[in-house]
Amino acid sequence: MPAPGIARGNRPDLFSALLFAGLGTLGLILGRGLEAGHLAQMGPGFLPRVVSVLLIGVGLAVGLPALRRPAQAIDQVRLRPVAVITLSIVVFAYVATHLGFVLASLWLILAGSLADPGGRWRQILPLAVGLTAASALLFVYGLGVQIPLWPF
Amino acid sequence: MTFIDLLMLGLGEALTPANLSFCLLGALLGTLIGVLPGIGPTATIAVLLPITFYLPPLAGIIMLAGIYYGAQYGGSTTAVLVNLPGEASAVVTTLDGYQMAQQGRAGAALAVAALGSFFAGTVATFAIALAGPSLSRFALSFGPAEYVSLMVFGLLAATILASGPVLKAVGMILVGLLLGMVGTDAETGAERLTFGAIELFDGIDFIVIAIGLFGFSEIIANLERSGSAGVTLAPLTRLWPTREDFRRSWPAVLRGTGLGTLLGLLPGGGATLASFSAYSLEKKVSRHPEAFGTGVVEGVAAPEAANNAAAQSSFIPLLTLGIPSNNMMAMMLSAFMIHGITPGPTVLTNQPEIFWGLVASMWIGNLLLVIINLPMIGIWVKLLTVPYRLLYPAILLFCCIGVYSMNNRIFDVVLAAGFGLLGYAFRKARCEPGPLLLGFVLGPLLEANLRRAMLITQGDPGIFVERPISLVMLVATVILLALMILPSFRRSREEAFQEEEA
Repeated sequence: MPAPGIARGNRPDLFSALLFAGLGTLGLILGRGLEAGHLAQMGPGFLPRVVSVLLIGVGLAVGLPALRRPAQAIDQVRLRPVAVITLSIVVFAYVATHLGFVLASLWLILAGSLADPGGRWRQILPLAVGLTAASALLFVYGLGVQIPLWPF
Repeated sequence: MTFIDLLMLGLGEALTPANLSFCLLGALLGTLIGVLPGIGPTATIAVLLPITFYLPPLAGIIMLAGIYYGAQYGGSTTAVLVNLPGEASAVVTTLDGYQMAQQGRAGAALAVAALGSFFAGTVATFAIALAGPSLSRFALSFGPAEYVSLMVFGLLAATILASGPVLKAVGMILVGLLLGMVGTDAETGAERLTFGAIELFDGIDFIVIAIGLFGFSEIIANLERSGSAGVTLAPLTRLWPTREDFRRSWPAVLRGTGLGTLLGLLPGGGATLASFSAYSLEKKVSRHPEAFGTGVVEGVAAPEAANNAAAQSSFIPLLTLGIPSNNMMAMMLSAFMIHGITPGPTVLTNQPEIFWGLVASMWIGNLLLVIINLPMIGIWVKLLTVPYRLLYPAILLFCCIGVYSMNNRIFDVVLAAGFGLLGYAFRKARCEPGPLLLGFVLGPLLEANLRRAMLITQGDPGIFVERPISLVMLVATVILLALMILPSFRRSREEAFQEEEA
């Protein structure tokens, strides 16, 4: 019997329970207008509903026992790589649409490099230029990927 | 056509200059990513999938297969020389391989690994050639009910054999199934789970999910794990193993090959499970189990043979039944689909040149890998000194281009970034992303067959127990489930994966 006052709750398991149950609920909400049909003639909503309910069930099955388990923390989240990588990809997409591949690629490599604080510009600048040129040649000219290179 | 004729047909296909060069390219790329930590074969193949669209079907598939088994060879190089597994299946090779390197026997360890892998690859290739035709004939008698039961069994077995908590893996499969339903329903045309976004009407592309989960979120996770100390290379000495090494390693290679070939066949098997199991088997049969971990040659020979055999034999369920057994095979399935080929029993009868060409190329690829790996080892070792901060921007860019080029659509890139975040969240929740991919790929197949089976019987689920093959699979599924509930089985499974964690 553990002494009272000792922290309980396995956080990674609770978090995954939350993710499963949340996605299951989202599935139920998004699929609420779909016809379920019946076994002989399944409608489009039949399986999404079954899977969503199962997902909520798995969420509960993971989460409820985790409440009583000894406390375990989630690994520390370091915001810098998460934010920098995600943001540089999203902006890459925007820049590529409006300003072309070359600028987008330069942006992606220069901005993406900021995710690692140890970066040195003397190495990263030539890397950005070289990679952009090589990918433009290989993918756009060589393999014919349909993407404008320049803003004009 | 006789067996020999078919093999000749395959060799003829695989030895055309174009196919041979794509085989070499795949083997080189595979070795490269096997050597470089921080990018795995799943992400690499996801990036290259859209590009294979520009190649003839066989050439593209040969190249992707080469990447997969090539990575098994490359992963051992870093495991031995710097104690870093370049690939998950090389984790156990670090135990004895690095110790051998410390004792100045790195060359012998690498040579045993490469030769053992080549032998295992050859055996597994023959296993595919021999088992393929008869399994395909068997699979031709499958109806929708059999396929449903087979997929349920496969998905469940895949979660149980994989490491990590079973319940979480089941959850990940369900998430994958749900994601597979996004888009327009194939039978009724109803639009499902799309948030009303037109871009999602065709469903989510496999590449988007694969690159998000295995590319972007892996980069983030690697960057978080900062302080990856500079690599210290073990000295590389003479390559040729001693007579004693050969004497001790050949039985280990034989056992590893046999075990690996069998485990590769199972759903969820694949290279990683095979290498771990082969290592523990060697320990069990050895007269000096306590010596393992101090640099015994069997500890390198067996897992290296096993992971290569399994990498190869895991193609069997895909090629004969059309069912991928792990996430790598899910990637291969979508590679086939891109070229309009549905893998399964009909490929062997309708397009024998694809099946036999691939089989023959695997053997040639294994031969090329010995050449690529042994004499050229110095070049690969130099690559290890490229720091990750110069590597990941390139991986990031290739991932973005790969996703974009699938549909020439920037929306996919943003969506992949979203899946990167989701994958990151799942990592924090200690859920492995592999089963999600498997569920996503099998979902639509499962749904179509389930609907068809129910339509035939007008809603009577009895069909699943009336048809013998289906019944056998369901019984096997129930046995697996029962085993999971037994405490003793659960404990031994946990013990088996403990070594992996260490």
